[in-house]
Amino acid sequence: MHIMEGFLPPLHAAAWTAVAIPFLVVGARRITRITSEHPRTKLLLASAGAFAFVLSALKIPSVTGSCSHPTGTALGSILFGPSVMAVLGAIVLLFQALLLAHGGLTTLGANIVAMAVVGPWVAYGCFRLTRPLGLGIAVFLAAMLGDLATYLVTAAQLALAFPDPVRGFLGALAKFGGVFAFTQVPLAVIEGLLTVIVVNVLNQYSRNDLDELGFHDRVRAGSSAALKPSTA
Amino acid sequence: MFPIDQYAWTHRWRGHHPAERALLAGGMLLIAVTLPPLATAPLVLLAMAGATVTGAGVPLAAWLRVMAIPAGFLLLSLPFLAVSLDLTDGMRLAFSSAGAWLAVAVGLRSLAAVSALAFLTLTTPVAELVPWLRRVGVPQAVVEIALLIYRLLFIVADCAAATRNAQEARLGYSTVRRGIRSLGLLAATLLTRTLARARRLEIGLAARGFEGTLRVLTPERTLSRPHLAAVTAALFAVAAGGLTLHQVLR
Repeated sequence: MHIMEGFLPPLHAAAWTAVAIPFLVVGARRITRITSEHPRTKLLLASAGAFAFVLSALKIPSVTGSCSHPTGTALGSILFGPSVMAVLGAIVLLFQALLLAHGGLTTLGANIVAMAVVGPWVAYGCFRLTRPLGLGIAVFLAAMLGDLATYLVTAAQLALAFPDPVRGFLGALAKFGGVFAFTQVPLAVIEGLLTVIVVNVLNQYSRNDLDELGFHDRVRAGSSAALKPSTA
Repeated sequence: MFPIDQYAWTHRWRGHHPAERALLAGGMLLIAVTLPPLATAPLVLLAMAGATVTGAGVPLAAWLRVMAIPAGFLLLSLPFLAVSLDLTDGMRLAFSSAGAWLAVAVGLRSLAAVSALAFLTLTTPVAELVPWLRRVGVPQAVVEIALLIYRLLFIVADCAAATRNAQEARLGYSTVRRGIRSLGLLAATLLTRTLARARRLEIGLAARGFEGTLRVLTPERTLSRPHLAAVTAALFAVAAGGLTLHQVLR
């Protein structure tokens, strides 16, 4: 659900970039602190970023036959934490623009807000709230609602930029939202199922990887525990 | 895996300073987005296509392939700008000529902007662009992580492609249900392997005295004044041409 290069009017593009910046600053500060305390986490974070990029380039077996990709925002936010995910997500979006011509530089801010800020935070919030219902359900809801939030934000961004001549912002929101719903709602469900499978497999076979990422601390203690370096 | 990256390293202008290309692409992007699109966008599109294909010597087919995906997306999404939703008597879509003009303008602006982006990506490797983030105030740690991501992602992508091949050979994607399960397994395996690789890298770097900064050599290239002058002239020409054309069209 990238907004492509040049699609947004210049004022909107600049405004969304301004909205994205505070989140990036907070995430970047956090990364600077983590990496200065434990230089080795740099490699861990870079691997996480490379993983997120490749994940977003994989093709989902889609019901509609159209070519679609997982966003991976929920998985990233559950595994790595939402504030770190904002920066990793921004880097991934930048690389998608530069390596795949997917998305764009002027629309980078708007895409960051939708896919690296709102999506991860909604997914993370859902995960924390629904955690008592069981890991599988929490992961499914987090991934699905994170995806839906991303797509609604994108629809809202487009509606703000191109309000309906007759019915204004709400009319445009209904129009864009309705159009995207056909592909995005099934995709969100698929991504939810997919994320459950991934977390289950990881939980079963590579618990120490999850420990290294601070996953269990995040699940249990309720603190937004950050990445910690391996003791190996 | 990433054809854009291949052209970015092998085109005719690779010996020139990357700032010259960045200035040209950035300037054209700015012109495409800010000046009236109906008159300016075709000029930007032409200039960028010329610079990419005849200037830098990127094959026309490669350029078209990069442009095709955004163009296809535009064809799908622009009609929705031209129509408006009418809910007065049930759900109805109404066509408006103002909306149609808006759709044409947005489509042209997007195509021109994408052509500038395509020029930049097809001629400048990510590894040469990322260090610039340092200049706009991105912390050193984040820039280093971005560079590391660039170096790692090809390895991770290879691993993903190999896993996917193996799964497909075993009918892992024969039905949607099975496909989702296979993709889940693929993602989980990929994460485990990526982390294992990061750990081995950590050990390898620690053995070589890693203290927190990775130093890499970048080839030294000097900015050429004639090139910068040509780029500036081209930018002015397109901007002026676009504005005059805009006056004429009105």
